[in-house]
Amino acid sequence: MKTKKIITLALAAAMVSASALSVSAGTLTETNTTGQTEVTARIDGTTPVPGDVTYVITIPDVVDFGTLTQPENTDKDSFKDVPYSVSLTEVNNLDVATQKIAVYVRDQNASVGNSDFKITNKADSTKSFTYDIYDVLPENITATKQSINANSMTQAAGYKLCDFTTQGDAVDGTLRLNQTQLCGYDIADIVGDYSGYMVFLSTIENA
Amino acid sequence: MNDKKSHNRNKTILIILLAIILISFAVILSLLLSRPGERQDESKTTNGVVGTITDNWDPGVSQPENSGGSKKGTQIPGYSSAEMKEGDMSLKLRVGNPKENTVGIFATVKLSDGTVLYTSPLLKPGQGLDEIPLNQTLSKGTYDAMVYYQCVLLDEEQTPLNAAESAFTLIVN
Repeated sequence: MKTKKIITLALAAAMVSASALSVSAGTLTETNTTGQTEVTARIDGTTPVPGDVTYVITIPDVVDFGTLTQPENTDKDSFKDVPYSVSLTEVNNLDVATQKIAVYVRDQNASVGNSDFKITNKADSTKSFTYDIYDVLPENITATKQSINANSMTQAAGYKLCDFTTQGDAVDGTLRLNQTQLCGYDIADIVGDYSGYMVFLSTIENA
Repeated sequence: MNDKKSHNRNKTILIILLAIILISFAVILSLLLSRPGERQDESKTTNGVVGTITDNWDPGVSQPENSGGSKKGTQIPGYSSAEMKEGDMSLKLRVGNPKENTVGIFATVKLSDGTVLYTSPLLKPGQGLDEIPLNQTLSKGTYDAMVYYQCVLLDEEQTPLNAAESAFTLIVN
């Protein structure tokens, strides 16, 4: 009799174990709150999907003029040129007949009416020097070629740098600092590390 | 004599049943542990979860072999639009740091009036989100918005580098 009771209990335990298995197979967890399997797909078409990446541009990492030198002759320009490149690396679903990707650039601290591109002494922010931005390489800067920041900035987005429509489009330009700005200073007063940052704004506009 | 035989037989049956129970528990345990989606490494996350930063994030834009992807510089994603419903506290917007980059990125999603909707932690190359949580919801309308990408060096000081703004139209239905 006692043995029968034990056998009955053991069988009951086995059945409970089996039912636990079938119930736990459908248990909802924090990471699986619906019990459904997500099926995803991407359909490439001409209409951009809201929230998706439409394009990728490549911008320069940093403004780096290297070591600057105080020129001896203050009457003659002493340019330090640094090439840079901005390009349209990838693009998808852009209707080039009606759309373009416009790129603007400004100094990190610029605003309308105060739009100089500057590098500033890291230890003393009152010491800074300005530089200009050209949309051509150094060898193509002529006496009549104006920098893109020759005039005052009229919109908060910055100075218009270029329009892109096709993958591979690029602007190879120049950052130019005239070292004659260093003249008139005691070198001990301006020695140190300088840094400056640019902000590139891109937006899709009507062509 | 018969009692002893019967006792031995019952003992054998009991042992077999106990063995069956033990095996059942072992099978259940192994099935629970091997269930997909519940043993993921913490560093691997699920796509499509709001605010979850995924590794191996990709902008998802076509990139032919002859593209200029190898040019020196930092790649910045750009957008045409994003959509959400009034009352939503999340936005489907693919924000991330392309794996080709060598710098870190802090991404801030904001409106043109300066209202900040989302600020990311440091995104290392290849990290990004497909859907971002919002600090606040928005009323129906069309907004000028942008993702501000602040690039930094991956050093202890997170030294700032150049930045980029990707402007887009945010439509709230």
